[in-house]
Amino acid sequence: MLNNIKFDLPSGYDEQQLISSLADQYAIKKDLYHSEIIIFYDTFDWRLFNKSLVLYESRRKLCLRELNKNEIIHSIEISSPPVFIWDFPNSELKNQLAPIIDVRALLRLVKIQSRSTRYLILNQDEKTVLRLSNEEIRSSRGRHAQPLAAHIWLLPVKGYPKYYRGIVKRFEEGGLRISKEDTIYFKGLESVNKKPGSYSTKVDIQLNPDMRADHATRSILKYLLRIIRINETEIEKDIDTEFVHDFRVAIRRTRSALGQIRHVFPSNITNRFKKNFSFIFSLSSELRDLDVYLLNEDRYKMRLPPSLCDDINFLFDYLRKKRSKALQRLIRGLKSKKYARIINDWEDFLNKPQTASPTATNAELRIIDLARKRIYKKYRDIVKTGSLIKEDIEDRMLHILRIHCKKLRYLMEFFSSLFPPKEIDTLIKQLRKLQDNLGVFNDLHVQEQYLLNITKELPVVEEQLKKTSMAIRELVNTLSKEKMIVKDAFAETFKDFSSPKNKALFQQLFASQIPEVYNENISHLQQ
Amino acid sequence: MKILAIYSNKGGVGKTAAAVNLSYLASLAGFKTLLCDLDPQGSATYYFRIRPKLKSGAKGLIKGVKKAYKNIKGTDYEKLDLLPADISFRNFDITLNKLKRSKKRLTKILTPFKDEYDLIVLDCPVTISILAENIFNTVDHILVPMIPTTLSMRTHRQLLSFCKRKGYDTEKIHTFFSMVDMHKKMHKELMVSASTTFNNVLENVIPYLAQIENMGIHREPVTVSSIASAASKAYQGLWNRVEKIISAEKMKEDIL
Repeated sequence: MLNNIKFDLPSGYDEQQLISSLADQYAIKKDLYHSEIIIFYDTFDWRLFNKSLVLYESRRKLCLRELNKNEIIHSIEISSPPVFIWDFPNSELKNQLAPIIDVRALLRLVKIQSRSTRYLILNQDEKTVLRLSNEEIRSSRGRHAQPLAAHIWLLPVKGYPKYYRGIVKRFEEGGLRISKEDTIYFKGLESVNKKPGSYSTKVDIQLNPDMRADHATRSILKYLLRIIRINETEIEKDIDTEFVHDFRVAIRRTRSALGQIRHVFPSNITNRFKKNFSFIFSLSSELRDLDVYLLNEDRYKMRLPPSLCDDINFLFDYLRKKRSKALQRLIRGLKSKKYARIINDWEDFLNKPQTASPTATNAELRIIDLARKRIYKKYRDIVKTGSLIKEDIEDRMLHILRIHCKKLRYLMEFFSSLFPPKEIDTLIKQLRKLQDNLGVFNDLHVQEQYLLNITKELPVVEEQLKKTSMAIRELVNTLSKEKMIVKDAFAETFKDFSSPKNKALFQQLFASQIPEVYNENISHLQQ
Repeated sequence: MKILAIYSNKGGVGKTAAAVNLSYLASLAGFKTLLCDLDPQGSATYYFRIRPKLKSGAKGLIKGVKKAYKNIKGTDYEKLDLLPADISFRNFDITLNKLKRSKKRLTKILTPFKDEYDLIVLDCPVTISILAENIFNTVDHILVPMIPTTLSMRTHRQLLSFCKRKGYDTEKIHTFFSMVDMHKKMHKELMVSASTTFNNVLENVIPYLAQIENMGIHREPVTVSSIASAASKAYQGLWNRVEKIISAEKMKEDIL
């Protein structure tokens, strides 16, 4: 079967002349003029683009297709564009998008206009045997707006391949090229200065192993500051919960870098900013906690017997009110002089020219050496702490271990460009499994504690309070049970992480001096 | 996918005009439609300005589904394709007779089109033989145009008793009045009588109009060439009714 194809028309190309030049060989009839508005959507962090997907609205339909392809994968009729995945009607489109966009909001990227004039090629019976469509893409509705792109579509009619092939040949001989790029998408975004994939929370810093440690650390911290800056301006709009989340992760990473990449800056500087960032982090903690509860509302309700679901609504209504206050508090904090001073001082410090003879002991080390040392140290901390956790698992120990893991994870991500990608990815993956287990445990623990305390502050009348408290108690019980299941899985997960194979790989990559006994281990594994 | 046959065991009753206009209106309503011109005279094919040339004739069509697919032509209307007629269709019955499971061959031919089309319309030749049985076996609905004359009613009775004898579901059969001349007293009287005699008689009436005969000159559906005409409105009314029949069936399926 023949497919629709399109040829790019270079800017300034005279389409009319092209059409009339075909008239010497073909009977051509002008058909319809058609204009439509196309709106492209993606999340702030380009989740669809990163999966090579394009989501757009046109003629009250929301369509999903692959980048650089014309075939629509799924489409649904809409009356107004959905923002969150829970706004979508049940559909295959929803199923495909759910794991990708998760809790992020869909943002309108760009609105463009497509205008097309269709021509029909007729045979001697005056039957349509091929359709041509001259399409122009403009960024605004203005009649005189310059087109962003122009192309000519060939739309074959089943059973008449001869005409299609003939025209393809003529266009190719005339120097036109089949369009393979997603012109409309990219040109449309370019017209509003948007670059697909330009924002990502993934730490992607290219370091050179021989860089001076203080210099490399500054690069990492500047990268994180950019993320902080981007998100702080969006938080106020309250588009989705992930701006606060990304903001917090960047702050946490900054704090971790200051604490873990040791002695690269003078200690008074490090101490001051550690304190400052700890303050900034605390500004958003209440909001984030509340976001987590509210995002989990449905999941909580699923854990409860239906008879108690209504009673728990009082809790969520209360949390929603609390959240809007917490958001206002955070916004005030971000607008405060103190916040501005911290961030400005921090920016000044990072941009200050490097001192030739720094006082900090590790400042002049090669970054690869410092990275190895710090990563290996953290790895050993984890193995040591983990081994102390025996049959009687203490919640406190799991908490300490979780913090160690987080620090190691950040270090490995900061320095990943210094090590072979395959190996570092394997180790990060192993670590992530352990972190998942510890993270779930911690979440359940925190939620349990929070719920136990919240009952005291619920502003409801006594009769209702009884019912709501009962529902909360029921929820706490379920969380407790789940916590035990996760705890039981810890030993096995930790065993995997601290396996000899993993140990050998950590030593191979990060231990500066490999003891002989481990050398044997590695060679054994390599065989 | 639904299959609708426009069928009559009597000639010259306006089958092709109905098939052409209903297919076009279905495509306009958003149904991806395939019109199969099974009539060797190829009038439907002619109306769409398509040459009645089947690459391997009816034999090929029956034997190879792939070959049938190759013969499909796009019409001037985007959601409407046509499987053209061929003069060798005059031997359709004979060819079918020679094959095993000869009464279910048409089902086999049309099954692969299920995914591509929402509706398949069969413009059937005048027949009450093995081809007719193939049609009854395959389709979801049969639409019979009937001129309100005594002869037409007699032929319709013959069709119904043939179906009953062979065990085909007569509930599939819907009748509408075609080529009706409202000036004729007999037409009016027989319409009343037919509506009480037969089941599933639609209230829609296609009048006898020159506009419909002119389709041969314009070579396009009257619903395209004179959109505001009485003929066009009559077919639109008929399609609205047919769409309900098809969709009701679909709703039943969805519930089940």
